[in-house]
Order: sequence, then structure tokens, then C-alpha cells
Amino acid sequence: MVTTRDLEAHFEFECRACENGHCRKADVETILSERKGLKEFYEAFKEHIKECKRMTYGQYMFVIDREVLPEAVLWWHNHPEFKETHLSTAVGTDERPLNGKFVYMPFLNVQVEPQNMDENYWVFLKAYMPADDPSFPSVAAKLPAALWIEREVKDLLGFNPVGHPDPRRLILPEDWPEGVYPLRKDMDYRHSPMAEVKTEFKEKPEGTTLVPMGPVHMGIEEPAHFRLFVKGEEIVDVDYRGFYSHRGIEKTGEGRLTYNQVLFLAERICGICGYQHSVSYAMAVERLADVEIPDRARYIRTLMLELERIHNHLLWVGIAAHLVGYDTGFMHAWRIREPVMWLVERLTGNRKQYGMNIVGGVRRDILDYRKEEILKVVKQIREETKKFIDIALNTNTFIKRAEGVGILPYKIAKAYSVLGPTARASGRRIDTRLDQATKTAMAYNEVDFKVPVYKEGDVLARVLVRMDELFESLWIVEQLIDQMPGGDIMVPIGDLPEYEEALGFTEAHRGEVVHYVMTGEKNKVYRWKVRAPTYNNLPAVPEMLKGYHVADAPLIIASIDPCYSCTERVQFVDVETGKVKVLTEAEFNELSIKYRGVF
Amino acid sequence: MAESLSYTEKLKKWNRFEVEKFSKKAPVTTPYPFIDIEKPPEYRGIPHINPEKCIGCGACVNACPPDALILEWDKKRGVKRLTFNAARCIRCHRCVEVCPTGAMEPTNIFEIATDNKEDLVEVVEHKLAYCEECGEYLDFTERQIEYVKAILPKEIIDMYALEDRIGLTQEAKMRKTVEKLRETEGNAYPAFILVKKGGEE
Repeated sequence: MVTTRDLEAHFEFECRACENGHCRKADVETILSERKGLKEFYEAFKEHIKECKRMTYGQYMFVIDREVLPEAVLWWHNHPEFKETHLSTAVGTDERPLNGKFVYMPFLNVQVEPQNMDENYWVFLKAYMPADDPSFPSVAAKLPAALWIEREVKDLLGFNPVGHPDPRRLILPEDWPEGVYPLRKDMDYRHSPMAEVKTEFKEKPEGTTLVPMGPVHMGIEEPAHFRLFVKGEEIVDVDYRGFYSHRGIEKTGEGRLTYNQVLFLAERICGICGYQHSVSYAMAVERLADVEIPDRARYIRTLMLELERIHNHLLWVGIAAHLVGYDTGFMHAWRIREPVMWLVERLTGNRKQYGMNIVGGVRRDILDYRKEEILKVVKQIREETKKFIDIALNTNTFIKRAEGVGILPYKIAKAYSVLGPTARASGRRIDTRLDQATKTAMAYNEVDFKVPVYKEGDVLARVLVRMDELFESLWIVEQLIDQMPGGDIMVPIGDLPEYEEALGFTEAHRGEVVHYVMTGEKNKVYRWKVRAPTYNNLPAVPEMLKGYHVADAPLIIASIDPCYSCTERVQFVDVETGKVKVLTEAEFNELSIKYRGVF
Repeated sequence: MAESLSYTEKLKKWNRFEVEKFSKKAPVTTPYPFIDIEKPPEYRGIPHINPEKCIGCGACVNACPPDALILEWDKKRGVKRLTFNAARCIRCHRCVEVCPTGAMEPTNIFEIATDNKEDLVEVVEHKLAYCEECGEYLDFTERQIEYVKAILPKEIIDMYALEDRIGLTQEAKMRKTVEKLRETEGNAYPAFILVKKGGEE
């Protein structure tokens, strides 16, 4: 007779990672010998390391004591051999329902050898903190890249970074009460309390005048408040207050939606680089399930990513031209861009927010007759852009405003972990497409392209990097069309393992996009963390502004191609019953307090 | 939505003399919204429920990311209500993909501007199946049961046994199994355990 135990054993989850030979719990010696540098780190921090684990291909986790976190982060960041290693971001998790502890986990993009995706890896430094004392020593004083990261976990989870040089509020609104932490698991996602408004701006330095810029940027029409402290015309110091479009996306994704639904929410984080977010998230979940997606799906994803990069770079160069007062350039750049949008609409069904992805592959196939169309558009864009660049770079209006303005030296770029074209214009040779193992979700390992790097670090260099990249992207698209393999476009994923973590990443046109996913029970997401590239680039903007004129400020800010809604992620909409009822004033006030920020 | 015209559709009915003037004077600018604009056939517009094909299974509701589709049971009236709200729809066409009968029909309508929110809501009501034994309504609709019968391979399934049980509630089914086993074996105790385990699975 069949017993229940037999049935349970039959239906028990079988770890696909173990079947494929990438068991997450292999022994320490095997894990440490896999990549260069891991053993060295283990020897240096031996007495503080509790556990080490391979999360998935090219992602390693060390569980270490919280006391040594700053030393460990700096050990990696300032490693003399791994030159371009940077602190990517950090995740704070409320793991009290699981083990009664909080978790703070910075992670680094380690570059053993530039552009070798089989050598480089990610290192996660996981530190547990007791529930009654969630504090950890801050590294921000020595490493400015951690400035925002530590302020974020302080706001959203109530961790205390001991010794942080600037512990002001970063993300939550000014009227949010003290001691209420939205990302803790005991808080309901519909709860939105209100308190007295309390603003914390930086003190004005002696002998300067305040020039407020914002809360809406004049060029990119997005909310961000810069406070420039000027002496005459020269900018001396800058204060930044943003996060006005914080939407609570991470909280909505956690536990409420299934893993395939979160994908569409991820795509809507940004109106510009939506597909990059979607691919990153899908990649993280595919890594967790340890499935290999079909080659054709990888190629289609890469194709769409590159088409997105092409039209985004054209969009940006248009805005840059507009900000320097060269409006003809703006009109032409956007005119050139439009055929890409039409092409994308024919390929996916929408101009933006393609809805092309599903965890495990893509939803629409690229039919053969479309290839002609893509090649035609690529050819047209190449010719027109060449002409446009030729004219723009010979226009004095453009050159005089962009050259030698907003210089970001290499050292500062590295200290702030600046990413993408902004970093490459300052001489950092990084590109996640080639640096990290993107080959499980994208096909960059099978195409040939160059990564343009400039050393000047000014606005003009950023323009040139982007334009060079645009031509490389056109070249990638042509190769992809040429090499496109046949076969399926998706594989089923099945069940996800419980409480495992993985990272998905792509190189958006602004820098590396990172999606960290920790699974929960029943195929839900327990913790989802999104880090858009602007999150790392924006703290470096004050450094770029110092010493230049107020008139240059809009251009310098726009030169990193900031995207505030990406950076600030996180609003939720609640389905209420359709009942209509006349409210008294008191009731109305109560409701408006309850649902403030919801609608 | 099927009955009332959308705002932009109404606009197109207006007889505006500018339309002709536009086309002569400006070759590029179109007098939208007074005329239709070209949409590619691949464009994903708002979907629409075809009530004739819908069986009320709720596959679309499970797949819908923004909760634009909602399923409600009214056991008193014996009705299952599927509501589609175009105002919440993000036009991802997941519902179109997962629909087993093709009742979610894709369109390429994108103009949903309206002066009345109710224009955007589509409601489809299904009759729930009724269990004669317990006198209660099931969770399934009558059409779902019809559909199950139609797709099950007749060579493998014992259709008579299926007919016998498919319209019953879970409790009635269990009761029937117990009774049957009691008849055949004459001992209720082991049969009860078997049924309970079967119920858990």
C-alpha cells in the first residue's frame, strides 16, 4: 500500500542545481579553488568567516562577522591586482521570520581580468545582526560609494550604520514618522503613516549664496532637488534631496505577486531602460532555478537590449544638445531615433515596455521576414547618425559647452563606484556585458564588439563614449541577425528552491543594472532588491559640479543620463471596492492620511 | 465597453471642417483625434473578453500582473463573475496567452480616454454547477465541466464514472467513495484512511 510518506518523498523538491553539478553547498576547498582571490580572502579573514557558499555560477557568498565588514569591503575594493573591482550595492533583509535576525549584505563586482566573464565573479559579504541591535560599522567614511547604500538601509529597515558621516534621511518623505520601517516584514504594504514635516538640508557654508535647482530638473523633467552653494558664479558645494518618486515597488513585489508577475512590474520601474530591468530579473530567477534558456531566446533578448541601447543613446544625445542650446541637434537626434521605436513596435507589440520576456525565455519570436526590416533600419540609423555626429561635433555651440566641463577624475569615479558610460569616460574599463557571466541569459559572449574608453572625464567624453557605443550596438545587431540560431524560445521553470539567493545583471545604457532575488515559500519572492545605475552615478554628481558655473549645472547633471524613477523605485495601488459614499470632513481626512501616497 | 463608444471614437464622429483643411495645408501633421491613425498589426492593445467562448476558469486572473482581471463567487445566486477593468490593464497580453479557449481576444485599440469610467469595465457572469446531493453550488462553472468532458481522452477515461461524479462537491465525492468501498470490502476503517490521504493530495 502507498503511504503518505512515499507520496511526499515522490513529490519532494529535487534541487536542479545539484542535478546539474552546481551544488550550492559544495565543500569549502572546492569553492575557494574555483576563482582567483577567494582563497586569499579566506586566509585573511579566516577567524571571522562562518560559512562560504557558491550561490550560482560566478556568485560567491561569505557569511562573516559584522565587526569586520568595513575591512572586508575595503579589502576587495582596494585590491591591488583586481583594479576595477567596485562595491556594487548592499541588500538589507528582515530575516526575523526565518531565524530571528537581520541581514546586511554588501556585494562587490570583482574583476580579476577585464572582459573575461569566466574569471570574474560577484562576492557577497553577508553579516547577521541580532533583532534587538541591528547595527553595523559604517564604511562610508572611507568609501563614498557606501554613502547612499547605508542611508537607504537606515531608512527602510532601521539598521544603524555606526560612524556614518552623513546619517540624514535619504529615501523616505519628510513627513514619514521616525521608527516606522517599510521594508520590515511586520509592516503591511498598504500602511502609510504621516507625521510632522521635518526637513534636513545641509548647512550653508560661510560666505556663499544658495541657488535652489529643482524640485524638477529643467532638462529631463524629472523630480530632483539640487541646492547649489555658490560664490559669485562658481559652485562651491552641493546638497541633493531626491527620491520624490519613491514608489514601494520592492515591497509590492515581495510576497504579493508570483515570480512571473514581478517580471512585468520590474519592466515598469523605468520608462527608458525597462527591458534591461526585465532581463536582469528574469536572469536572477533563472539562476535560482538553475535552468539554461534556449539559444534563440538568448539571441532575441540581446537583440532587443541592443535596440534599446541604440534609441536610448540617441534620446540622450538629443537632450544634451537641447541643454547646450543646440536645438537643431535635439530635433535631428529624435528624428533619427523614431524609426527604431517603430521597428521595436513591430517586433514586440509596443514602443516601450516590450513585454517580451518571461522567466525562462521570450514570448515572441523574431520571424524571418522581420530580419530584412531590422537590417534596413540599422543601415539607415548608421548613415544618419554618422552625418549627425559629424555636424554636431563641428558645431561650436556644442563643443564649447561640453569640453572641459564637469570633469570626473578616475580616482573619484572609482571611489564612488561610478558605472556605465560615465565611468568609461573617466577611464574605467568596465562593461558588465563582458565582465560578468551574462552568458546564461544573453549572447554577448558570442558576438564581437569593442568597449570604448576615454580618459578626459568631461561631458564631451561622455558624449563620445555614447556615440561610439551606439555604432558598436548597430554592429552587434547585425551580427546577431546573421548568427541567429533556430529552436525553441522558452523553457518551463518549474518550482523554485526555497530561501535561496541569486543575482541578475545587465549593462543598461547608463551602467550595470542589478536585481537581487531571494525566494520564499510557494514560488514567491521573499526579498527583491533593485539597483539601477543612476543610484551609483548620482552621488558623484556633486563632485562633478564643484568648481563650475551655475549655467553648466543642468548639463553636468544630465550628462550622467540620470533616471530618477529607476533609482527611487519603490508606490502601490490598492483595489478598493467600488462603493460610493459621502464622507464627512473628518472621515475624509482620516482616509487621506491612511492612503496618502497611495493614489 | 462594447455598447458605448469611447471618447476618441465619439470625437471621430464630429464633423470638423479642419480635417480637410489640414490634409491640404500640412502634409505631415495629422488631425488626430478626428481621424484614425495607423497602428501596426502587431500592436498590443487592450484585450476583450468574448463571453461566448469564456468558460470562467480564471487562468487569466492568475496570470494578470496588475489585477486588471478579478474573479468573484456569488454562491447565493450561483454565479461566478469575471471582471475586466481596462483602466488597470498594462497591455501585456498574458491573459491572451494563457486562455485555454481563446476567449481573451487581442485588439489593437489603445484609446481608452472616456468621460465615464464604467465604459472601461467588462463583466462576464457564469452559472455555477449545482450539486444535487448536497444542494450546494460548486466552485466550477457549468461550462468548465462541459470543457473538461470535451477535452478528456475518451479512450482512457471511464466516462460513466466521470459523469457520475464530476458534478459533485468534494465532500459528496468523498462520501460516495467511502460508501462504495464499504459496500465492496465490508470494513469502513481502512477505506476511510485511504480516502483521507487521497483528499490531501
